[in-house]
Amino acid sequence: MARSSIKIVGASGQGLISIGEVLAKAFKRTGYCVFGYREYNSLIKGGHGSYQIDISDVEVRSSEEQVNVLVCLNHHGFEHNLHDVKDGGMIIHDTPSWQFPAEDVEYLQTHQIVVLFLPVGEVLGLLKAKPVLGNMVFSAFLWAAFCGDQKLLKSLVTEKFAKKPDVLELNMQVIDQGFMLCASMQCSLAIPKPSKAWQQHLLLTGSQAMGMGIVSAGCRLFAGYPMTPASPLLQYIADVQNETGMVIKQAEDEITAAQMVSGAMFAGTRAITATSGGGFDLMSETLSLNGIIENPSVFVLAQRPGPATGLPTWTAQGDLLMAVHTAHGEFARCVMSVSDSDDAFHLMNEAFNVAEMIQSPVIVLTDKHIAEGIYTQRPYDAKKTKIARGRLVTKSSDLKKLKSTDRYDPSTVDGISSRWLPGADAATFCAQGDEHSGDGTVDESAANAIAQMDKRMKKMETLKLLIPDPEFFMLSQTGMAVSPKDQQTELLIVGWGSNKGVIFDSIEALNSDPALAMHPPIGYLHYSYLWPLKTDRLIRLATQTKKVVFIECSYQSQFLQLVKQEVPGFTAEVIRKYDGRPFFLNELCSLIKKQLSPAA
Amino acid sequence: MKIPLSSSGGPTMASYHSENRCTWCDGCGDYGIWTAVKRALVEMGIPPHSVLLCYDVGCHGNGSDKVQGYRFHGLHGRVLPFAAGAKLANMKLPVMAFGGDGASFSEGIGHLVHSIRSNYPIVFVLHNNGNYGLTTGQASSLTWQGQKMNTSPNGMPEHTLPSMDFVFSLEPTFVARGFSGDIPQMVDILKAALQHRGFAFVDMLQACPTYNHFATHNYLLERCYHVENHDTKDFVKARQLAVDTKEKIATGILYQNEDIPSFYEQLVPRQKIKTTLVDEVKMHDVGGLMKEFV
Repeated sequence: MARSSIKIVGASGQGLISIGEVLAKAFKRTGYCVFGYREYNSLIKGGHGSYQIDISDVEVRSSEEQVNVLVCLNHHGFEHNLHDVKDGGMIIHDTPSWQFPAEDVEYLQTHQIVVLFLPVGEVLGLLKAKPVLGNMVFSAFLWAAFCGDQKLLKSLVTEKFAKKPDVLELNMQVIDQGFMLCASMQCSLAIPKPSKAWQQHLLLTGSQAMGMGIVSAGCRLFAGYPMTPASPLLQYIADVQNETGMVIKQAEDEITAAQMVSGAMFAGTRAITATSGGGFDLMSETLSLNGIIENPSVFVLAQRPGPATGLPTWTAQGDLLMAVHTAHGEFARCVMSVSDSDDAFHLMNEAFNVAEMIQSPVIVLTDKHIAEGIYTQRPYDAKKTKIARGRLVTKSSDLKKLKSTDRYDPSTVDGISSRWLPGADAATFCAQGDEHSGDGTVDESAANAIAQMDKRMKKMETLKLLIPDPEFFMLSQTGMAVSPKDQQTELLIVGWGSNKGVIFDSIEALNSDPALAMHPPIGYLHYSYLWPLKTDRLIRLATQTKKVVFIECSYQSQFLQLVKQEVPGFTAEVIRKYDGRPFFLNELCSLIKKQLSPAA
Repeated sequence: MKIPLSSSGGPTMASYHSENRCTWCDGCGDYGIWTAVKRALVEMGIPPHSVLLCYDVGCHGNGSDKVQGYRFHGLHGRVLPFAAGAKLANMKLPVMAFGGDGASFSEGIGHLVHSIRSNYPIVFVLHNNGNYGLTTGQASSLTWQGQKMNTSPNGMPEHTLPSMDFVFSLEPTFVARGFSGDIPQMVDILKAALQHRGFAFVDMLQACPTYNHFATHNYLLERCYHVENHDTKDFVKARQLAVDTKEKIATGILYQNEDIPSFYEQLVPRQKIKTTLVDEVKMHDVGGLMKEFV
C-alpha cells in the first residue's frame, strides 16, 4: 500500500494548524484518505507543536513515525524533528541562512534528505502581506509540489474566507506566488493516484463525529466545564447550537455539569456531559447518586495522562479502571469506548439507549487521540438507528394504572422497573438518594436494603445480555474485516479504544512485509463494551491461538487487569505505551513482529 | 415524542398528604415550612403530579417522603444544578428546590452563586436554622461567631458569613424572607416566588429547638415583622432591610425585578421554539451538519 506523510512543525500560534487543515481537505477532496494527528503543549503561544497528515488512496487510520515531507515554520524544527524524516525525504523551511551543525549535515547526506529553503519573507514583501500569510505560501507551495489542482485550493480558501473578501483577494495572490515558486524551483513530490471513493467522505475530528452522534441521538442539553481533551466536543456542540436548538450550558464546575445533566435526564430529555479524568473525579458522587435513584445518564470521559494535571494535551487509556470502579457504593453501570470517527458517532445513540434501558449511568470513554484526531469518514447514515427508551411509560392510559411503588418495585425479574416523568398525570414518587422502598420512601430495614440492592445489581446481568460481544477482525482481500466466525490465529491481539486504527494499519502493513514470508494469521478482538465485561468470545479465541497480546496505552495494562479480575488465571502478553503518544504505525509493526518471532 | 404532562386542577391539602410520619423534633421549623409549601401549591392550583420538589440533604430533606408530588432527594450541597437541569428540560414544570444553610453556604455555595447569576426560573427555599442539624449540631457558616457547637467546643472562631449581603452582591432578581412560625406569610411569599420570572431566593428563618440555642423560635418571634410600604423594586433599600437584623428582622418580599429574563429566555437557539426539551427526544437529521465536513 502506498502512503505518504507530511508533518508541519512550529510554535503554537504560528499557523501550523491552518496549513495542516487546508492541505488535509485539499487531499481529501482530490480523492485521498487522510489521517491527521496533532501534538502540542498546554500553552497558547510558543512551545513546539506539530500537525501530521498521512495520505493514501486506500484507508489510513494511523500516523507513521517518519514522514516524507517535514515543514519547519521555525528553526526549532531542525533541532527537534530532523530524525522524523524518512530516507530520501524532504525538509522545507523559511529560516534564512540556516547553517546545520556538521553532524546534521552528515545525517542529511547519509539519509539522502533534501533541504529546501522557501523565500517566504520575499514573497510576502512583494505582496505587502502580513507574516500570517506565510502559512498560505507554504500551503500553496506544498499543494503545487504534490501536483495539486490550483483551482481546488483556491475554492477551498474561498470557502474559508467567504466572509472576509479583503483577506480573500490577498490569499489568492499568495496562492499564485506559491505555485510560481514551486514551478521555478521545479519541486515535485510523489504521491499515489487518487481514488474517487474518498471525495464525498467527511473530514472531521473525533470530537466533531461524537458531537454529531449526540445531536443525532436526540440529545437536547449539553452541560460541561472546559477541560482538554473534552473541550473540543463542548466547543463543537456550542458552535452548532443555532442549527440544533440544543441548550448548551458552560457550567461553573464539573459537579454542576453532572447534576444539571442528571436533572435534565430525570425530567425526561436526553442530556450529556463530557470531561477528562480530573473533572470526572468530581462527577463521581453524582454517578453514585444516579445509581441509586436509577436515573439514566451519559458521561463522556475523554482520557489524557494523569495523575493530576499530568500531560494535559496528550493521550492515554489510563482511566479505564476508574470508569469501571469509581464512585462510592455498589451500583449498575455500563462502560463503553469509542475508537474512531465512525463509532464516535454511532455509539452515542447506543449509550443513551443503554442508559434508558437500564436506568443507570453509562460512561463513554474516548481519548485525546480520538478527540483531536482527523478522520476521513463515510457520511453517516442514521436511518437504521432507533431510539430505545426502555420502560419509560408515556401513554396516559398506562400512566393512570401506575402505583407510586411501581417506580422502584424490587420484584421485577430483570431489576428494571417502570419509569415515568415529573409532570406526567400519574401517581408520584420520590427519586430518593437514601435507601428506599418502592415509592422512594426512606427504608433502612435490612430486608429492604437487600431487596433494593438485589434489584439494582440484577441490572448488571440484564445489561450483559443486552450488550454485544466484542468484534473479531481478520485480514480479508479488502483489508481488515469483521469475522462473525471464530478463526484459528497465530497471534490474537486484544484491544480497545483509539488503538484500533493503528492495529488495523499494522496488521495490513505486516501482511505486505516481505520479511514476514509466512504471513501468519493475526486476529484482532476489539472491545467497544468494557463493563460489564463479556469474556466468552475472548476465551474461545484464546484457545485457538498460539499467543494472546493485549495492546494498551496504560502503565498497568488496565484492560488485561480487568479481564484477569473476571477470568482468574487468564494470562497474555502485553504491548503497552504510557508516554502520552499514540502508537505509531512502524513502531507497532515492529512490536507485533517481535511477538511473532519464535524467540519472543 | 409527545408526553402528556397536563395538569387537571382542584388539588387540596389532602392531595399532598403522605402516610409517612414526620421525623422532625418537636418545635422544628420544618413543620411550618412543609405546611406552607403544600398550602402555596394548593392555593396556586398545582396538583402533585405537576410539580417537582427537589431536596438537598439535611433535616428538611427528610421531608422528601412526607409529601406527595414528584420529588428528588439528592446529594448534600448539590440540589440547585439538578433542579435547574430538570427545569431547563421541561419549562412547563414548576420546580422548587430546598436546601439548608450548611448545604447552601458551605458545601454548595458555588451553585448558589451561579444559580442567582444565571437566574434559572426556579424557586429556592433556604431552610435557615443556623447550624447542621442532621449531623447533630455542628456550626454552619451562618452560625453566630463564638457559639459553642458540636466540633467547636471553644466557640466558633470564624465570623459569620453575611448571607443576605452576599446574596444581594450577586444581583438577585427575587429575595424574600420568611419565618417558620408564620405560615400565612410564608404561603404568600412562596406563591409570589412560584410566579417569579427567574430565580427566587427565599430565606426561611427557622427554629432548631435541639441545636440552635441562639436564634430560637422566641428570639425570631420577637424580632420578625412584616415589611410594609416598601418598594420591592428599590434595590438599595431592600438590601438595607435584608442586612440590618440587629434589632428587628424584616420579613416578606424584599426585592423583585421582573425585567431580567431568565436563563432559558436568554438562549438564542430556543427563541422561537414552543416545545420543551422533553418533547424533542427523537432522531435528529445531521445531513445539514455534515455538509461542513465534505
